[in-house]
Amino acid sequence: MSADDGELSQGSAADYEDDDDAFADDTACLNAAEHVVVPRAAYQCFGAVEVRAKQSEAIARVVAVLQVNTDEATQLLRTFKWNVNTVNEEWFADEERVRTSAGLLPRDADASEPEPERVVRCGVCFEDFSADASTNPGCRHDFCGECWRGYLENAVDNGPSCLDARCPHEGCGARVTEALARRFLSDAAAEKLSTFQWRSWVDDNPRVKWCVGPGCERSVQIDVVRGERPVDVTCHCGTSFCWQCQEQAHRPVDCETVRKWLIKNSAESENMNWILANTKPCPECKRPIEKSMGCMHMTCSQCQYQFCWMCQGKWADHGERTGGFYACNTYEKEKKYTKNFSEDEKRRALAKSSLERYMHYYERWLAHGSSQVKAVNDLKEMTESKIARLGDLQNTPASQLKFVMDALEQIAECRRVLKWTYGYGFYNMEDDGMKKKFFEYIQADAEVGLERLTKAVETDLEEFFHEEKTAEEFDTFRGVLTGLTSVTAKYFKTLVTELEEGLPGVESEAVDAAGGGKKPGVLTRLAAAGGGAGK
Amino acid sequence: MSTPARKRLMRDFKRLQKDPPAGISGTPTESNIMAWQAVIFGPEDTPWEGGTFKLSLAFSEDYPNKAPVVKFESKMFHPNIYNDGAICLDILQNQWSPIYDVAAILTSVQSLLCDPNPNSPANSEAARLYSECKREYNKKVQEVVERSWTEA
Repeated sequence: MSADDGELSQGSAADYEDDDDAFADDTACLNAAEHVVVPRAAYQCFGAVEVRAKQSEAIARVVAVLQVNTDEATQLLRTFKWNVNTVNEEWFADEERVRTSAGLLPRDADASEPEPERVVRCGVCFEDFSADASTNPGCRHDFCGECWRGYLENAVDNGPSCLDARCPHEGCGARVTEALARRFLSDAAAEKLSTFQWRSWVDDNPRVKWCVGPGCERSVQIDVVRGERPVDVTCHCGTSFCWQCQEQAHRPVDCETVRKWLIKNSAESENMNWILANTKPCPECKRPIEKSMGCMHMTCSQCQYQFCWMCQGKWADHGERTGGFYACNTYEKEKKYTKNFSEDEKRRALAKSSLERYMHYYERWLAHGSSQVKAVNDLKEMTESKIARLGDLQNTPASQLKFVMDALEQIAECRRVLKWTYGYGFYNMEDDGMKKKFFEYIQADAEVGLERLTKAVETDLEEFFHEEKTAEEFDTFRGVLTGLTSVTAKYFKTLVTELEEGLPGVESEAVDAAGGGKKPGVLTRLAAAGGGAGK
Repeated sequence: MSTPARKRLMRDFKRLQKDPPAGISGTPTESNIMAWQAVIFGPEDTPWEGGTFKLSLAFSEDYPNKAPVVKFESKMFHPNIYNDGAICLDILQNQWSPIYDVAAILTSVQSLLCDPNPNSPANSEAARLYSECKREYNKKVQEVVERSWTEA
């Protein structure tokens, strides 16, 4: 299962045609981890040094083709969002217009006859001073050094817009040249200017965005922008985020749903916080229980009562009705309102039911989110220390233990996907139609697989650290875990594909049901896959 | 202490006294050269004729690289002037340039009186009357003109 099948192969042929620049030869930093169930688009991650190199390269190309100086080429590139092709096209279509809009002097203006030194009155402070070629940006509107300094430092204080500072003379659009700016700016301000200059390659470039990781100065460029679709990327600093909306990576759910969901959560969180305290009482003995592991199957350490963390129902009651033995994903409208209810009571009941509905999704979103954090930490701990210990205990080289890492990576990725499917469900599954049933079915399948996998890692694997086990037992465990990992990946791929394509599986199911069609529907296919992989 | 801003304001004052534009006057307050009082006279042959409108100008040490805060102290009725007297004028915001001085600012505000921009209304009622019912608009302007004579 290659992580980038589909998207990449399609992308490279058709979409590279409008790919303008010379970046194609860069080593793509694809996130090609095998256990990513969401297909990743091609993207590259740049640090400051690489950004400066890209910038210089683009400038050199414009200088070579248009016969302008470096400063002018930089301004042209900024005007046209660092797209070398656009600069060339616009320039050769109408050079004068481009010069005016970018604030470059007219072509004939730079016939550089030496400017005589002369005494003029500064237009800002009204003091006389001796002007020369270095007191104007080529437009012959002279200002004294003090006033240039004040003007430019004020511009730098106002932020990156200083890169487009113009001559202060009324109606003159001549851009302040870099040489002029650097002549008068203080060292500190010149330093700021340099920072704005290199950062502008990212700020202005529609295909590049800053990493959202705290303190991270890297940027991420995606090779193909596909409309509004979410694009999950992982920066070299380890931060995963959606390139489109800068929220946490959230495919297969679209950016708009995520935005609404996060706003709703922040608005409701005041209510939720006390409702959803971090602990729940054991349904049997009422002792408070904190959930510290990823699996939803809870066993009270005091009274040994087994229950489901989600619904706090008896674990034994979980089965097909709740979406599978290990899953509990069904939100059922419990109460049918009878005629005996007064209007007031009905309204109260309705409000309660709508809050309950939201709580259902929010609670699951939150639970899978914290399980995701736990999974990422487990993975880190495993990589850093535990895997070596396991190798020693089982007398197995680290290269033979990759299946453990695979399982942990799979869990982290799947928790992330599962978490977002609850945001999706809240907005897209309002009525109990075929769609909802189908969605909850494939969600449950994915969840069952994931809970089994989580349990295998958190319980079964732990035993190998604490108990004497034979090599045969370890081999059996290896087989089970590898199987669970791949089955889980399969379920999640189905879930991701279905959600991203708007649940087309529902229709094929309906056709199947109606005509006993020849093409097996997704439900049937899923059932077959699940059965085949077995326990 | 003489800073660039104060020096420049002294020059602005000298220029204003030596070569005063028609219909405006402005002076720094006695104690503080960074705070000015100004009066704009309503231009002749317009509904504003006869009005004497008071303004305040507050300068910062960043002047002339940053625009001063200019406000009408007199009650106004104009599409681009807020109820509290704040003025919506491009050269006082994003189109500011350090080449402007007090005379240029006051001249611009004066020409804004008769030449409003109804597309960026700061007073929606004034903007509506200005484009829909000139007669009613002129009447309201006349009211603030008369009021300006009695204001302290």
